[in-house]
Amino acid sequence: MLAKKIVSVLENFRKDSSASIDLKILEEIRIKYLGRNGLVTNLFEELKSVSKEEKPALGKSLNSLRDQITSKITELKQNLTSLLEKEKSHIDLSLPGRHKQLGSNHLLTQTLNEIKSIFRSLGFSSIEGPELESDYYNFEALNFPKDHPARDMQDTFFISKDFLLRTHTTPVQVRIMEKHQPPVRAIMPGRVYRNEAVSSRSYCMFHQVDGIYVDTDVTFAELKGTLVAFAKQFYMEDLKYRFRPSFFPFTEPSAEMDITCYLCHGKGCKVCKYSGWLEILGCGMVDPNVFKMVGYDPEKYSGYAFGMGIERTAMLKYGITDIRIFFDNDFRFLKQF
Amino acid sequence: MKILLSWLKNYVDLKGISPEEISVKLTMAGLEVEDTYSEREVYKGFIVGLVKAKQKHPNADKLSLCTVSDGEKDYQVICGAPNVQENQKIVFAPIGTVIPKGQFKIEKAKIRGVESFGMICSEAELNISDYHEGIMVLPDAMKAGVPITEALKLNDVVFEIGITPNRPDALSHIGVARELAALYNKSLSHPKIKLKESKNSVNKFASIEVEDEINCPRYSSLVVRKVEIKESPQWLKDSLTKIGLRPISNVVDITNYVMHETGQPLHAFDLDLLAGNKIIVKSTKEESVFTTLDWKQRNLPIGTMMICDAEKPVAIAGVMGGANSEINYSTKNLLIESAYFNPSSIRRASRALGLSTDASYRFERGTDPNNTLYAAQRAAQLISEICNGEVASGNFDVYPKKIFPIEIVLRYKTVERILGYEIDDQRIGEILKSLGIYPKEQNKEEIKVAVPTFRPDIEREIDLIEEIARIHGYDNIPTISKIAVTLHGRVDESEFADQVRDIANSLGFFEMINNPLVSEKLVSYRENPIQILNPQNIDMEFLRNSLLPTALSVISRNINSGEKDLCLFEIGNIFYKNSTEEIKSFGDFTESQKLIFIMTGRANNKEWYSNERFFDFFDLKGLINSFLSKISLDNFLNDSYYHSGNNLYEFLLTKSLVNKVLGEGGKVKKEVLSEFGIDQDVYSFEFDLQSLMKIERIDKKFIEPGKFPKIFRDFAFIFDNSILSEEILVHIRSEGSVLLKSVKLFDLFEGESVGKDKKSLAFSLEYGSEDRTLTEVEVEKDFTALIKSVTQKFNATLRGK
Repeated sequence: MLAKKIVSVLENFRKDSSASIDLKILEEIRIKYLGRNGLVTNLFEELKSVSKEEKPALGKSLNSLRDQITSKITELKQNLTSLLEKEKSHIDLSLPGRHKQLGSNHLLTQTLNEIKSIFRSLGFSSIEGPELESDYYNFEALNFPKDHPARDMQDTFFISKDFLLRTHTTPVQVRIMEKHQPPVRAIMPGRVYRNEAVSSRSYCMFHQVDGIYVDTDVTFAELKGTLVAFAKQFYMEDLKYRFRPSFFPFTEPSAEMDITCYLCHGKGCKVCKYSGWLEILGCGMVDPNVFKMVGYDPEKYSGYAFGMGIERTAMLKYGITDIRIFFDNDFRFLKQF
Repeated sequence: MKILLSWLKNYVDLKGISPEEISVKLTMAGLEVEDTYSEREVYKGFIVGLVKAKQKHPNADKLSLCTVSDGEKDYQVICGAPNVQENQKIVFAPIGTVIPKGQFKIEKAKIRGVESFGMICSEAELNISDYHEGIMVLPDAMKAGVPITEALKLNDVVFEIGITPNRPDALSHIGVARELAALYNKSLSHPKIKLKESKNSVNKFASIEVEDEINCPRYSSLVVRKVEIKESPQWLKDSLTKIGLRPISNVVDITNYVMHETGQPLHAFDLDLLAGNKIIVKSTKEESVFTTLDWKQRNLPIGTMMICDAEKPVAIAGVMGGANSEINYSTKNLLIESAYFNPSSIRRASRALGLSTDASYRFERGTDPNNTLYAAQRAAQLISEICNGEVASGNFDVYPKKIFPIEIVLRYKTVERILGYEIDDQRIGEILKSLGIYPKEQNKEEIKVAVPTFRPDIEREIDLIEEIARIHGYDNIPTISKIAVTLHGRVDESEFADQVRDIANSLGFFEMINNPLVSEKLVSYRENPIQILNPQNIDMEFLRNSLLPTALSVISRNINSGEKDLCLFEIGNIFYKNSTEEIKSFGDFTESQKLIFIMTGRANNKEWYSNERFFDFFDLKGLINSFLSKISLDNFLNDSYYHSGNNLYEFLLTKSLVNKVLGEGGKVKKEVLSEFGIDQDVYSFEFDLQSLMKIERIDKKFIEPGKFPKIFRDFAFIFDNSILSEEILVHIRSEGSVLLKSVKLFDLFEGESVGKDKKSLAFSLEYGSEDRTLTEVEVEKDFTALIKSVTQKFNATLRGK
């Protein structure tokens, strides 16, 4: 009885599996024969009730039936899968992908962000102030007396007798100190204006980052340490540097910081005017007169301040020789960065 | 300022110190050497040449064909100078030399068909003087082939030094020498004055009166008689030429020389041209006109300090002498002026006149009030030596209130407190002394010093600390590698703008940065623009009052250079007056931060997977809504639409909070675009960024994602064209039950099949519940009710049934 059934199941399977099938039908066939209620599975149930004498032989042929069906299904599955792969290979995977345009920030913004993130890690806040400033904040509070030649250092656009376009971001230092008692540690990025003839080297508008740190016991040595740490992170780790005495009305002592020209490594080239050095920023200890203007006691507090131009920094870093390219907003320039 | 090495050596011993070392030393002490010209380098290769023969150029009338010998070989050289002659000794620039003026390299050239192998130089080309009418002719005794550095003793070095405004003391050779003496710990020697005075006293020849003692605290003067005005000796002419001055005549050259030697500006008057032989220093009481010695008429404002004689003004004090009393070739008797003027008075005059001279430059920075007589005597001595003058005995010296050195106390502790580093007390004393700052009293804690009057910049303890640090060397101050952390709240005021930039990038927009200084045309779209009083030119006369016009300029430029598909944004400030009044306080104007998105051209290019499509209004609208949702403002602002728009936009879209418009934009009007030469559609939107930032956001709360399956239903209706899609959406949302989670418009169709002035809109509805699986029956009930409601409310016809 069972032996007959085994033969008939095998014949049926042969019929089923020789028809034209796909992977889905094959799966149905597998379930039909080998599934939990499948024909083969059911025969194994029937085996339980046959006599002890018949069991070994029938068991053997039933196992063989299962093995044959299993291996045939595996073979068919492989054939069908590889056939499908072949069909898929007609799709040209080398076609260009569907384009998604992403924008980017202006190179000056990117440069500023780099500078900001370094100072952020050193505990500096980032504060902004107005571009249209009063003479008081831009000059007087910063120890530029009226009728003083120091004002010639910064050619100014005037709006009225007492209002002007700020010539540096340094007035924001005064605004911060007026509002807060020490400790004050902040950078002040922003746009500034100078009434200078436009050329490849200078523009009537540019961007600066000023910085200030005021507390008890802030020293020139700490100023040097902080700015060297900045320059190493921003430019290169193994740079050489020097601090040269200079003059700014709002700092005393004042300095300019030079680093070795990284284009010629100090040998001298066109960019560093054959000096081997590049001037990257101005700095110094906050002048006691500025402290007096904001009501800080210069006997109790000391502080340092610094300032750098972003355009110049970006020009040095990216090898740009004409400052005007920043403000042309040529799309071919904007897309590069 | 140019400083000559050989000149410096008159005052300080610099033996064995190279020019390069001097340059670094000065730079590191704050006198930045911006350039160094060594004559040996500049004139390398130039030799004495002999013009052996001169012929006419065959193809040019004004050119000569010369044969120049270097003593061994002959060269064919074409020369254009009228004064070139046979047997002349000249300066020859062979192939490979670089002409100092203009820095061009001599190469083999063909001039009008004839080859030339070098150049015969003029003084101007060699930067020896500005004489350029003909070539420089050398003495016959010079030997051809000898380098001109040897023949003309050109072995000097010129330092170009950038002197900061606080250092008037360094605006002279003695000043720079003083600095070097301090840096190298050497002594400084001033030229000794030995005047051979005549018996006649100055009082016999002139008189001086100072009315304006406040602005002229000291007026010193000497008289030199019977001078011979002629050309200066060569050494004097050379000294001046090498520092960039043009020699004029011996007396004038000497006054210039002494100014560059001592820093004290001098003026020599022709005494015989001074009415009453009198000098009066006084300020103008009314506006007047004065002719300066450059023969220019100057309008003098009231209060300009003038040097006058008994009848008329003869010089603008501290700025420039007058043509009426100038030294000329018939001058016999001189009055030398050496004064100390109040710096701010000279600065005001110089600015009012728009006239800056070597003298005013020094006076406005502050000269040494106690050096006037010395400088006048030094000039008198040179004049007597060089111009055979007879120095009258004695001098005039109006100096009613003597200016004394100021005294400052320096606490040693403060040096350390500021520099972060201790400098030995003894070393501090030495440094100060080397700068001419002498101790008056001292103890363990502090030192009291007297600051010489040539250093007006040193007024306080902190100024002394800078001097000490400077001479000791900034490089010797340690660079510490640990900094203290301050535990106060860190703020970042540009955080929001930075977030906006990142979102704009992710939406495909590129950032531009425009110059806010614009032309009048670009501010004409809004009211009360702010004008610059002293603009550079009319293209930068106003501050922008909107970001749109500058952005349109950018679009126009880019289209012209072939970039026609653009998505740009900018964050920048705009400015306008709050009334038409002049700005006197911060309340009189507004400066506010704006954001503009602007797009033009194609939204999609033609690609293998898509057709090209141009931006339209709905791209702009979608962009703005995506942007607002990223800054958590998607449900805050109300939209309004205006087809005809305003002066800038048609299809105007505004976003408002309550009644305040925070942003507006749309399709830029054709008339506006044509003013910028743009002939493709542009869509733009401008937000007030500060207002967007200030809106108080509702804190976001977590919503559990639904666990139960959703059920979707679609329907489509035919509506009258006049019905707005938004009204229908609002209606469906409000009429649907709580189970209706969202409605989306997914199809719009207009055409004959739906009828004239009709449109078909199809909506997809999403049903769901947080707490159970919905049954088809309850969804069907709500859906059917909605169909009925939409049909009735809008007089619509359900499609597909």
